[in-house]
Amino acid sequence: MNPLISTLITIGVVLGGVLGGCSYLIWLERKVAAWMQDRVGPNRVGKFGLLQPIADGMKFLLKEDVIPSHVNKVLFLLAPTISVMTTMLALAVVPIGPTTTDSTSWQAMIAPGIDIGIVFIFAVTSLAVYGIILGGWASNNKYSALGSLRASAQVVSYEIPLGMSILGIALLSGSLNLETILQRQAEGGIGSWNIWFQPLAAMIFFTSALAESNRLPFDLPECEQELVGGYHTEYSALKFGMFFLAEYTHVITVSFLMAIMFFGGWNFPWIATPDSHYAGAWIVKFAVLHTKVLACITFVMLLRWTLPRFRFDQLMGLAWKVFIPLSLCNVVCTMFVRQFSLSWWWLLPVSLALVIITGLISMTPSPKRAASPLQH
Amino acid sequence: MDSELATFQPVLIFIVVLIGFVITNLILAHTIGPRKKTPVKQMPYESGMDPVGDARQPFDVKFYLVAILFLVFDVELLFLYPWAVSAYAGPNGIDPVLSDLVFGVMLVFMATLVIAYVYAWRKGVFRWR
Repeated sequence: MNPLISTLITIGVVLGGVLGGCSYLIWLERKVAAWMQDRVGPNRVGKFGLLQPIADGMKFLLKEDVIPSHVNKVLFLLAPTISVMTTMLALAVVPIGPTTTDSTSWQAMIAPGIDIGIVFIFAVTSLAVYGIILGGWASNNKYSALGSLRASAQVVSYEIPLGMSILGIALLSGSLNLETILQRQAEGGIGSWNIWFQPLAAMIFFTSALAESNRLPFDLPECEQELVGGYHTEYSALKFGMFFLAEYTHVITVSFLMAIMFFGGWNFPWIATPDSHYAGAWIVKFAVLHTKVLACITFVMLLRWTLPRFRFDQLMGLAWKVFIPLSLCNVVCTMFVRQFSLSWWWLLPVSLALVIITGLISMTPSPKRAASPLQH
Repeated sequence: MDSELATFQPVLIFIVVLIGFVITNLILAHTIGPRKKTPVKQMPYESGMDPVGDARQPFDVKFYLVAILFLVFDVELLFLYPWAVSAYAGPNGIDPVLSDLVFGVMLVFMATLVIAYVYAWRKGVFRWR
């Protein structure tokens, strides 16, 4: 098939999947929230409220789109555009189905064979901070300004542990290409999934990525009780929907990355290995990958209703004082294991020990902090 | 076009499709839906109060400090990526003869990084209050 046409078809599938996925994830999130709070959740529109996402979408479209007179119009329109575009663009290098490293055959992703894979994703998603800053500044509203300041400080801070946690994977795989990383894990089976060798990196990556996407417990930029809506206070109708879409797309991308980089992607013992060539193997692999992704997304939703929101100094402290030294330790440990050709399994106890030591240090009250809680 | 760049062709197509997608969204938002301008709707939303003063005020210098530190660490990260990929990549990576030298250099690099980090910590950059 003509590569242009197959690319366009893949793009269509990804875009459609993301749009449909996002709207049904909102439904899932509301159901999970209701279940955790002992409520019923959406159940009016269709069976089990299954048509609720469509109704919500129509509502986004049909509501009045207010552009207040005090905003900077060009930047005001540009902000949600940048948010949506950057988060979506990151999906270009993410395998959305089973892939191999064979460059001649068709792969279930938009742009196969990009060697800088993960760096591309980081480069593109870090541009999303422009959407936040522009949205907050152009709105010319005090809530928006405060929200965007907080958001940009937060996103910028968590960018560093996020990038550092990947270095361990790069050291182990010798590549930043997501298909190659996946292939190494798939060929080794469940015992070679990166989660066994980089549990600390997985934890840091997941937490930082949550902070990047402004999800609870890191949703300080848009905490309702203090800042109304944060940087999107002045946005309404479909433009608000675009910010919303960007947030959920980010969660989807992060879940895909977690599943692919740490949990072996489409690999599963016996039923989905590189050697399984039975009829329907492709579909099984696809299902395995998407089950992992869905499990990760559900975990994010459960977290949302389990953990309270951080305070801002705690949030910045977590990034700068905990995650950066921890991820640097992780890189150095991985480097030693690789340099002296030790068993990779050494990394598992070392990572767990690092986590425990960090916990012990943070629980020991420092004399200054214990003096008086009121004294700043 | 060489093959390395050709892999980015689908990304380019994706960008074009995405631009089309967001522009359609903006136009849809603009055309569908009622439009009734009232003076109250045109005001900045401040929980029902009349806004006092301007939103564009000077803000805390700590945000600048965080941004500057981010620049330092981010640039340092960019130096680490090529090393991490090629250090132990076998035949495609660094020559095994240089392996020990690279290892030592990286340890020195990270040590300088830690010194800068400790300096920033002692200076109280991370103390947010």
